[in-house]
Amino acid sequence: MSTPLGRGAGDSWRALRTPLLVTGLIVLAAIVILIATSARTSGPFSPDSTASDGARALAALLKNHGVDVHSTETLDDAVQPGDGKALIIGPAGSLGRPDLERIANARWSHLVLIRPGSRALEVLAPGVQQTGDVLSSRSREAGCDLPAAARAGTVTVSGPTYSAPAGASACYGDGINNTVIRLEVGDRIVDVVGTPTSFTNAQLADDGNAALALNLIGTHQDLTWYLPQFESTDTGTGDDSSAPLIPPDVRYIGWALAFAVLVVAIWRGRRLGPVVAERLPVIVHAAETTEGRARLYRRSRARDRAAAALRESALGQLHKAHGIPRRADPSAVVATVAARTGRDPVMLYELLYGLPPQTDAALMSLSFELDVLTQEVRHP
Amino acid sequence: MVLTGRAGVLAGAGVVFVALVMPSWAGVGLVVAVVLVVCVVDMLLAGAPGRLQFSRDGDNAVRLGEQAVVQLLVTNPGRRVRGWLRDAWPPSAGVLDPPHKLDLPSAERRRLVTHLVPTRRGDRHAVRVTVRAFGPLGFAGRQGSHEVPWTVRALPPFKSRKHLPSRLARLRELDGRTALLVRGQGTEFDSLRDYVPGDDVRSIDWRATARRGNVVLRTWRPERDRQVAIVIDSGRLSAGRVGDAPRLDHAMDAALLLAALATRAGDRVSLLACDSAVRADVRRPAPQDVLPSFVNALANVEAELVQTDFRIVVSQVLERLGQRSLVVLLTGLDPAVIEESLLPVIGPLLRRHVVLLASVADPRLTELEATRTDLLDVYAAASAARTRLDRDRLTATLTRAGVVVIDENPDHIAPALADTYLSLKKAGRL
Repeated sequence: MSTPLGRGAGDSWRALRTPLLVTGLIVLAAIVILIATSARTSGPFSPDSTASDGARALAALLKNHGVDVHSTETLDDAVQPGDGKALIIGPAGSLGRPDLERIANARWSHLVLIRPGSRALEVLAPGVQQTGDVLSSRSREAGCDLPAAARAGTVTVSGPTYSAPAGASACYGDGINNTVIRLEVGDRIVDVVGTPTSFTNAQLADDGNAALALNLIGTHQDLTWYLPQFESTDTGTGDDSSAPLIPPDVRYIGWALAFAVLVVAIWRGRRLGPVVAERLPVIVHAAETTEGRARLYRRSRARDRAAAALRESALGQLHKAHGIPRRADPSAVVATVAARTGRDPVMLYELLYGLPPQTDAALMSLSFELDVLTQEVRHP
Repeated sequence: MVLTGRAGVLAGAGVVFVALVMPSWAGVGLVVAVVLVVCVVDMLLAGAPGRLQFSRDGDNAVRLGEQAVVQLLVTNPGRRVRGWLRDAWPPSAGVLDPPHKLDLPSAERRRLVTHLVPTRRGDRHAVRVTVRAFGPLGFAGRQGSHEVPWTVRALPPFKSRKHLPSRLARLRELDGRTALLVRGQGTEFDSLRDYVPGDDVRSIDWRATARRGNVVLRTWRPERDRQVAIVIDSGRLSAGRVGDAPRLDHAMDAALLLAALATRAGDRVSLLACDSAVRADVRRPAPQDVLPSFVNALANVEAELVQTDFRIVVSQVLERLGQRSLVVLLTGLDPAVIEESLLPVIGPLLRRHVVLLASVADPRLTELEATRTDLLDVYAAASAARTRLDRDRLTATLTRAGVVVIDENPDHIAPALADTYLSLKKAGRL
């Protein structure tokens, strides 16, 4: 009498394998495409970014001049042994003091700091200090004896300025406030550059920007381009300023919560049997065509047709009510109706056989008059 | 596998546990493991819905609008099953009961009752029975479905039944007990009786008068055992909804009243529902079978969105009617369809039979024509007037061709059809 419906494991697998395979392929393809197309770094001053605040043009220029550019966003690449190599540290990010010290100990031959903060200056470029002034964007002469700057000529600079210690070359400024400072720390050359916008895709072609960039940065064959992120490896060292934003416990609670949500979803999601579908008959209103024609009349302002229909209908009722023969002459009809109702024959003729109304108001009044005329017929 | 709210609560408690006691991967793993183990064990301990056995019993047919009761007998040969049972039917079967709560110990049997009030005509098939059995802990369970076939046929409601007694009284008046003085094609000789002043002198049987010495009349009565063929158009014209039901349903109602009346009058009734193909066909059933066979045949007929092929209708009717009969066409009065499709082929029918065309009028048209408060209404009234004029013209054309036309509102179509049948009978035109 009854037949169990149900799927064994094999049936379930057979039913699910195609969707699973398709889903897996789509996910795999998405991952491959994402990896193939994504840049290793992104954001302002990124050597992979083609946006106007990116630095892909500069990276390409450096490569053309035989410099090997490695772009990275991880600190591990910035603290590798750096003998005979150069490191650029990008403008963003928040590096903790221990991170900066590890970079300082990495023995880079050449360090370029793009718009560094005070902590970075303290560790990597002792003696250089932020002045707090900001230069407006315009072309400036080098104004110093740094060969790289002197060869580049005028450069469009802007941004924060720095004061140089004794013995350092300070360029593009008024002697106290400078944008480009080169100093030697031990056997390492450190460049502090306050103007990152000069080297971006948007402005690299202006003035001597490209020349200055090449002269400053392209001094070593091997360049590591480091864009620090908002991360730090020194958790739990007691440095208040670098405490993690999210306490680590929250992560576990989140996972437990996700599992609970999954359980609740399975609880609420399983129906007691499938939804039953039903083939329904087509239902149309019988008066639909008539209503549609009324809308057509209205849209095309077919007052003549509407009036003709109303008149014909009224005449039909009058014929029946007053016993007028069907093919009676208009004048005979008017005479009979006038005699029965006591109306003016001329007005009646105009009402029943007159010209089509020219305005909507005329149509309304015609309809009203006909209605009054046939009222007694309809409600005897 | 199904989970319950308890499993959700357990997983929620796990979140609190991870937050307060073990905020680590180990804690998360522990919670997941505990929930999984509890649920899997509970599921394994639950009764097996797949092993239940079902059988059904109850009503097979019900008039539309009335309640059918279908019973479901559940036998459990296995472990105790606690949980829910849903007897699933299509929405228009009108299942009244929520899912049944089931507690079925091993080797026992329960009878569950499902009440149905179908909302549409036609066969309603039971879809499936789904059982969800929870484990002893109430954390998880198993779910399985069975197909337990059963069909409830929702029959046409025959609402016009209420008009039958009065029409039967008129039929009795007409038939047998009251003799007619009119001789016609549909009457047969009944008896001779004495002349009463006022009788039609044309009915005097002069030969019998000469024999008897006083004036004697011949009387006639309506001929019995005539044939009535009811044809219901199930095509496009019948799909239109008039009031709260399609034209087709009103037509069925009228057809049933006519069939009941004609059967009592001693006529043989047959039924045909047809659009581009024959959808229902009942040929001259025995008098006591007329209504059951008609409602059964009509139960599954739905209006199709196709143009009715009246050539099929005419050939089918001609094929099954030998003697002169009454052919009742229940269709719509649509000028385009009737003039192009019916009129060219109706000739053979009209030559041999009496043809009656009954159409369900739409009261909405009258309403539209009477309302004239704003401009929109005036255009609608004009359009409705045009429709009515076209119908009137068509009615006149059909009447000229010899067709008897009835065009009545849904409430009146069935009694009007019965009355027309009686008056045709009275006039001896059958």
